[in-house]
Amino acid sequence: MSLGAELHVASRYLIGNRRWTPVVTVSLISVFGLGLGVFALVVTLALLDGFQSGIRSQIVANAAHAEVRPATGRRVVDPEDLASLLQGELGNVEIVQVVRGTCLISSDTDAVPASVVGRSDTEGVIADRLISRRLGVGSGDRLEVISARQRLTPMGPLPVRIRTVIERISSPEPGSESGTVILPIAEAQRLLWGEPVIEALELRDVAEPWSLGQRVRGILGSHGLAFQVAGLEELHRPLLTALALEKVMIFVAVGLMLVVAALNLLCNVAMVAAEKRKDLAVMAGLGFTPRSLRRLFLVLGLAIGLVGSITGAVLGSALSIVLDRTGALELPRGVFMVTAVPFSVDPVTLGIVVAVALGLAALATWLPARMVARREPSEGLRYE
Amino acid sequence: MSENRLMVEATGLTKGFGSASTRLEVIRDLDFVVATGEMVAVVGPSGVGKSTLLHLIGLLDRPEKGRIVLDGVETDGLDGAVRAGLRNRSIGFVFQHHHLLDELDALDNVALPLRISGRGSRDARNRAAELLDSVGLAERTTHFPDQLSGGEQQRVSVARALAMGPKLLLADEPTGNLDRDNAERLFQLVTELHLKVGLTSIIVTHNEEMARRCDRIFRLAQRSGLSENVREI
Repeated sequence: MSLGAELHVASRYLIGNRRWTPVVTVSLISVFGLGLGVFALVVTLALLDGFQSGIRSQIVANAAHAEVRPATGRRVVDPEDLASLLQGELGNVEIVQVVRGTCLISSDTDAVPASVVGRSDTEGVIADRLISRRLGVGSGDRLEVISARQRLTPMGPLPVRIRTVIERISSPEPGSESGTVILPIAEAQRLLWGEPVIEALELRDVAEPWSLGQRVRGILGSHGLAFQVAGLEELHRPLLTALALEKVMIFVAVGLMLVVAALNLLCNVAMVAAEKRKDLAVMAGLGFTPRSLRRLFLVLGLAIGLVGSITGAVLGSALSIVLDRTGALELPRGVFMVTAVPFSVDPVTLGIVVAVALGLAALATWLPARMVARREPSEGLRYE
Repeated sequence: MSENRLMVEATGLTKGFGSASTRLEVIRDLDFVVATGEMVAVVGPSGVGKSTLLHLIGLLDRPEKGRIVLDGVETDGLDGAVRAGLRNRSIGFVFQHHHLLDELDALDNVALPLRISGRGSRDARNRAAELLDSVGLAERTTHFPDQLSGGEQQRVSVARALAMGPKLLLADEPTGNLDRDNAERLFQLVTELHLKVGLTSIIVTHNEEMARRCDRIFRLAQRSGLSENVREI
């Protein structure tokens, strides 16, 4: 049997004829419930995506997109050759040679441990806002950077240290807790190694940042060079994992609204099944199989789910886009990186929300549909 | 009218309702046979099991004991889908309350069995229009059940019962809700169609006068409370 008869009856039940029937009423309540759940979930996730894409943009803007380290040991052998090879293969990418370590950063009044990075593209000294806040220093102030490495002096072994002036203050690296000081590479090498050692190459490709690690891995592999390559995902795994986990937890928590809406749908469909007991018996008498009756109810539930979730998704997306474009929800200046609450509607997330809503609607309808299919047709006629 | 071939052959039917403690046995060890082409009236007091017997023969319910053979087809053990197919193709039902679907107009109500059988919408509606014409309701096709009189509702119900060209017509007190004139008109319509289409008809009725106009009367009576039925033919 085709689905024509089930669709025909289901559509008449939902749209009704000239009258406002109880089926239409409970269907509208169910549509409203599911629509509200989807709407709330879409807006919440758009808000979360808005903030998270801000963080991702900051990572892309400020951090390396890929990092190449030696497979063993800490020194990159022939870093210039390696840089030339990658530059030749990748074309328009920025390649920076770096060394890293931990030093004590001291101002006139205080000292804190912090990361020190020597970069081949840096001329002056850059301290991030964490260092600036902790030590109470700003551009033009003096800093002393003290290494754990020691050198022998007439007064005995003393730590290697440099005195320098902060050229500018930068945004902290996402996820950084201790603060970072960036130095010209020669000074960092002197502090950390005492010789011109390169520990890693950092690469940036503004056009395709997220795939750079994979491409570098491919190039080095094709030349038989053994290096450790980390892309953006690997370099910021803890932060990105935390962001993804946050999204999942918010989805689950706000998604509970959908579960409540689905339970409401279950009750309403069960009510329809009770209200239409006689009709169902008559339809069975006319030749509807138990499977057809089950399908009739599944069509009813899915239609309600589809209308509810599409309506909720459209309204939720529209509101998110309007709020994002107009910047209607302003944030206090200086507290956040952005001046208004950002919203970002991700089509994949939207698809998942609609799919989950439809899945829950189908599940919620399954129970009453199964109950209806298992009844003997005469039951509905006997109690009439 | 009777032919030798049997349309309905029910033997040893037993059916009750309720749980073990509240069980009410409505039919016990009942035999019932109808030949092809017969018009049989089933009469008896309320609660004696007339509708239950009709539901069992119409495959709307299953007997606890006994077997039913419809037009040579053994119905015991048939699954729900096959029984539904038989109901759709071979059996037409007319109920006391018209049992039309309120959300469908007269045309769609009559077309429903055809749609269920897989016929296309246009084809089904054309056939339904012919049937409504044949019961004198050509002008009422777009009316919904609550816009029709009781007699008209039952005529739509008759048209729907005949939509698939069934071999067996089962009518459960079809005139029970109608006044005398409408009841008479409906009974005449059923009788005419029975002859014209070559149906086998089983009509449950309280109306003795109508029952006498059938080929045969099957009388259900109570003996020893509700637990046993006897038949007088």
